[in-house]
Amino acid sequence: MGMLLSYIVFLPMLFAILMGLFRVKFPILRAGAMLSALLVFALSLYLTLHFDPAAEGMQFVRRLPWIHNYGISYYLGIDALSLVILLMTAFLMPLLYLYMWNYEKQGYWYNMLLLQTGVTGAVLSLDLILFYLFWETMLLPIFVMIGRFGHGMNRFNAMKILLMTVLGSMAMLFSILYLGYEYYEAHGAWSFALDHLATLSFDPKTSIWLAAGFLLAFAIKIPLLGFHTWMAPAYSSAPTPSVVILSAIMAKLGVYGLWRFGYGLFGPTLSYYEPTIVVLAVAGLLYYAIHAIMENNLRRMFAFSSGSHLSLIALGIVLTNLYAWSGSLYFIATHALASAGIFLMIGLLYRRTGSVHISNLGGIASVAPRFGFLFAFFALCIAGLPGTGGFVGELLIVIGAFHEGIAIGFAAATTMLAAMLFVFWMLQRTVFGPVTRHTAQFGDLTTLELLTLTPIALLLVVTGIAPSLFTPLFEPQLQQMLQTLAQTVGGAS
Amino acid sequence: MTLQTTQLLGWILLLPFTGALVLGLLHLTFPRTRRLDTFYAALGVAGPVVAAALGLKVLYAVASGADVTFRQTLFTWLSVGDLKIGLTLSADALGAVMLFIVTFVGSVIHIYAVGYMRGEKSFGKFFAYFNFFLGSMLLLVLADNPIVMFIGWELVGLASYLLIGWYYEDPANVKAANKAFILNRIGDFGFISGLGLLFALVGEGGFSFADIAAHIGSVDPAMTALVGLLLFVGAMGKSAQIPLYVWLPDAMAGPTPVSALIHAATMVTAGVYMVARFSFLYESVPDVGLFIASIGAASALLAALFACYQSDIKKILAYSTMSQLGYMFIAVGLGGYSAGIFHLFTHAFFKALLFMGAGAVIIALHHEQNIFKMGGLKEKMGLVTATMLVATLAISGIPPFAGFFSKDAILAHAFASGHTFIWAVGVATAYLTAYYMFRLFFVVFVAPPREKAEPAPLDRTVTWPLVVLAVGSAVAGFFGLPEAYGGQNWFAGFLHLPDRALHLGSGEEFLLDMLNLLVASAGIYVAYRLFARSPREAHDAAAWQTMLRHTLYVDEIYEALFVRPLRGLSRLLDRVVDNRIIDGIIGLTVGGYRVASAGFALLQNGSVRWYALYFMAGLCGLSLYILQNIGGE
Repeated sequence: MGMLLSYIVFLPMLFAILMGLFRVKFPILRAGAMLSALLVFALSLYLTLHFDPAAEGMQFVRRLPWIHNYGISYYLGIDALSLVILLMTAFLMPLLYLYMWNYEKQGYWYNMLLLQTGVTGAVLSLDLILFYLFWETMLLPIFVMIGRFGHGMNRFNAMKILLMTVLGSMAMLFSILYLGYEYYEAHGAWSFALDHLATLSFDPKTSIWLAAGFLLAFAIKIPLLGFHTWMAPAYSSAPTPSVVILSAIMAKLGVYGLWRFGYGLFGPTLSYYEPTIVVLAVAGLLYYAIHAIMENNLRRMFAFSSGSHLSLIALGIVLTNLYAWSGSLYFIATHALASAGIFLMIGLLYRRTGSVHISNLGGIASVAPRFGFLFAFFALCIAGLPGTGGFVGELLIVIGAFHEGIAIGFAAATTMLAAMLFVFWMLQRTVFGPVTRHTAQFGDLTTLELLTLTPIALLLVVTGIAPSLFTPLFEPQLQQMLQTLAQTVGGAS
Repeated sequence: MTLQTTQLLGWILLLPFTGALVLGLLHLTFPRTRRLDTFYAALGVAGPVVAAALGLKVLYAVASGADVTFRQTLFTWLSVGDLKIGLTLSADALGAVMLFIVTFVGSVIHIYAVGYMRGEKSFGKFFAYFNFFLGSMLLLVLADNPIVMFIGWELVGLASYLLIGWYYEDPANVKAANKAFILNRIGDFGFISGLGLLFALVGEGGFSFADIAAHIGSVDPAMTALVGLLLFVGAMGKSAQIPLYVWLPDAMAGPTPVSALIHAATMVTAGVYMVARFSFLYESVPDVGLFIASIGAASALLAALFACYQSDIKKILAYSTMSQLGYMFIAVGLGGYSAGIFHLFTHAFFKALLFMGAGAVIIALHHEQNIFKMGGLKEKMGLVTATMLVATLAISGIPPFAGFFSKDAILAHAFASGHTFIWAVGVATAYLTAYYMFRLFFVVFVAPPREKAEPAPLDRTVTWPLVVLAVGSAVAGFFGLPEAYGGQNWFAGFLHLPDRALHLGSGEEFLLDMLNLLVASAGIYVAYRLFARSPREAHDAAAWQTMLRHTLYVDEIYEALFVRPLRGLSRLLDRVVDNRIIDGIIGLTVGGYRVASAGFALLQNGSVRWYALYFMAGLCGLSLYILQNIGGE
């Protein structure tokens, strides 16, 4: 049991190292990658079965001293927040491999394996230095994938995402080091463990500055309005599987960070930033949606859509009540599914027509009914159709927002309008309408593609029809966290 | 009130959804085959018909027991904190009536669609959508709490979207579908905000309709009014009232059975149903009710005016639907919930019949929709003419047909409540209704034909449903026979909604009815004089007539006010805000870094003497710093 999280984190990397050492051939490489992803998925399910939602704090904790002198430890653990993201990652990875099953560029597969380790590691680390390492680890494969395998101005865009995120990371690293030093000052020994650092207390001014370092990193990753100009170029240049990771999982790590480290370390101090985040989130929700209307490039359009929904999630988190938090966590999962679905289908569109531009498309429903159906389905999921998981998250966040006040409630409810601004017009010009030159020879979904997409679609329906199956997994812990937050007056604040 | 659990409701809901699932999967598996069409038709009709039989059973059980409510909890949908939302179905009197309307009229239209859609490609998909619509509509009317109702509410919107855009090869139809969904969503923004606010106010005590009714009394009336207004915004969208109505005429792009079922008989009445369902809330805020009634009256009149100038048979009926919905909102707004639901009930029969008759004419004439290209059809299409006449008389309010009783119930209520102006608008609309409906009837069936067109023979599945609904349109009014005519208004007694008690003497009511009858006859007479013998598509004499023919250019105004500015803003955000301002600021930082590095590079000039100077300067600075610190302590 104690090793479970370590297996989940390092299996993909281990596979990558072994296969790299033996310089295996492509068929073995992809089989190995798939095997590792399936193993991780199975282990995650096993872990979920043994996860106790009622227990307080972290579970499956693994804590070993690592760099003794500086109190850096190998410290993994899981709670409801990280479990949700872990499950989404573990669920999507095998499907991504299925998507790229015939994609013969080996470097790509290695990068994906490393990426999974980076992402899950970041979600499960409880030592800040360890977290920082994983946080950077997951950026590198993305950088390489955009730069080497991407489209368009990929080099420039790869540099842009790298520089902007590294800027945020540096600020965060500074805050982390300062926290560790303060712990040393107070206790005479170094430590970077989250639970240790959370006991520190500062004067408000220092606390606000320290929180800023973290928030900058997360604001860029989410991205909040104003920190977002890397997003659309990166999404449009990145190859499909890395777009899926970017939107479905990495963007979620931004809000996860806000949640785990923002509230975990700084507790009430964050209320200093809450008004700003609320304004940026609400503005972003609409800004991105309006921006998406005139986008001709589908990847960019759904990049903005992603930004809009992540703004809503961020809003839900800073509202700090049970409904909004449950909604945000639920939406983290279901948005991951919906955006994975839509970006995979955009990838399939590109394979078929060599274009992701709306002006080239049209009439897909006539030539490829299954493709048209699923594409419209995922698009409607993005628009928050009831009966799909996305609606549940949005509903909960709206309800949570009305608990905070009427004005915030109305602002959150605009999410009902945001996505529809672009989704329906987009469907009109891609799935419906007359067939164009590019879509005349459009092939319908193959069995392999159906196998990739159907699980995502089914899970979206299940999460929409029976959310009560999933909410008990996280509701008690969210409640505890809210109680702790309410009681904290000191903490690292 | 007694509660009874039952398995029936679950089955009623499950039947159409299962049908939709099976049909949909079969269609996706064999998208192009035509061999399964007979099977599709049988399966597509079976679910609704069985559901209708079960629905009738429920209605009968509710009607024969004293104040019985049937209830069935399928499972807990969501449970977070106080928000415990069960997928609970319940049928009280109001629910049972709606259940009956939806399943009965729904089945009839499903049967009609078999003949109407025969030979269309994607026959299976059509019935999948149609069944899906029916299931969603049942979810809406049977929901025990407003959240599940909202889910049904949005799903019927989805079905409507898919079916309006049925002929999706033509972008105009898809545009119409988008318009419908988007305007409905704007309404739903109000609806969901209303629910969010309502939950914040009373959610701790549970969120089923009964729980809300029990706790609404303790809420600040201003807040209740706000909730009432927000919920009504949702109704404006769904039930096509000013200002969100512009989607309904365009929705006629869908096949005619769709217009009959979704855009006439059932879905568009959901807003009225919702207000009646929340009657416990609206009765405490009469000002909001007055607002609803005013919107209803304005919509009724405006739509009737528009209908007088249309020449597309389906658009006339679309505006007529909007106008009749306006009547229903007058009723529910002024606290006459039973009267509103009664009109909803009779309207379902005669409006579905009107659409289906129109559809029969349209396919018989090979998809001609302009009434001025039709004519003289009474010779060749006797059955259609007879049934259409019944429906036209019913909507015009001629006794003893259904519309007479229900419309007069509304107008009597409006008169008795003292809102004479709203009442007068209602009477004026009644005149216009009789006029434009008989204009349609005379031009299409009575006037001499324009072009020699031989109508194609009609399938029996198309004609028999007309007869069934004609019988309904003829007799449905007797369920609510008022006391003035020796009845007891059984319908209102059965619904027992919290109607605002108003007393109107039998004599007064009789006089009002006579006035309405006179007004309607006048409308028919004018239509007869103008259109029965030599119909002319009147040319516009005055500017206001041109305005009305173009429906006051509302579409163009909305386009200029909302659509274009949004698109312009979208471009602005991309080209200016993102590319210039934000990236500009980032660029400035990068640029600043470059300038600074260039500055530092100047210092690095390779001369050792300069380096020594830097060294000295650094050392001095450091010493100063240390000294200062010591001094400070």
